[in-house]
Amino acid sequence: MRQPGAYSKLVSGGKSGPHSLPLARIKKIMKNSSDEVKMISGEAPIVFSKACELFIEELTKRAWIMTLQAKRRTMQKEDVASAVIDTDIFDFLVNLVSHDSANTVRESDQPQES
Amino acid sequence: MTDEHDKLLPIANVGRIMKQILPPHAKISKEAKERMQECASEFISFITSEASDRCHKENRKTLNGDDICWALCSVGLDNYSEAMLRYLQKLREYERQRANQSNQVSTGEDKDETSTTNWATFDFGILDRRGSTSSGKPS
Repeated sequence: MRQPGAYSKLVSGGKSGPHSLPLARIKKIMKNSSDEVKMISGEAPIVFSKACELFIEELTKRAWIMTLQAKRRTMQKEDVASAVIDTDIFDFLVNLVSHDSANTVRESDQPQES
Repeated sequence: MTDEHDKLLPIANVGRIMKQILPPHAKISKEAKERMQECASEFISFITSEASDRCHKENRKTLNGDDICWALCSVGLDNYSEAMLRYLQKLREYERQRANQSNQVSTGEDKDETSTTNWATFDFGILDRRGSTSSGKPS
């Protein structure tokens, strides 16, 4: 029988509840990414689970800056798009979000009729 | 039959991670969460492709954690790469300790647990999310 306690600190993570991402789903996404991906070690989805968490946190923080600049309290998809465009290391996402930023129409850009 | 949702991480999990990093009064639209789901999937796909290329060039069939760390570094996500290397080291150390424990008890029943153990909740205390991964802290 497994003995609880020895690694319980590791298991709980010390955070407010687990925010794990499902490993099987991560593995599916990995396999879908390329025909070359045949075998994936057990640790790879685990590493991605943590990496994704960090990624989501960083992009969320940056998107929130955009939300605040627009004086809103609800994050919109355009904020995520703006954060991507604003961050060099997220260049690989630019095509994914470009239709969001293209649809963003600022009021100041609208021609004013007298 | 491939469900479209198989290509995305669950919105509940993504939304939870987003919510926990923001101030309590912050609200997140459903569309913003959906966009984040898509970005996360693209992140996985992009890095996996890079890692897979490396495996292929080195005539290896199995993509491992080191390949992911290398790929993160190769696309400019150095902070992620360093953090994941540390995480991977701890993960492997933990696995070795578990393997030693299992050997001492001389049963094989724990062998398959790696795939079902909720590894992703393991923090190992090595990830400092307060600034180590962002190049610019939000004010």
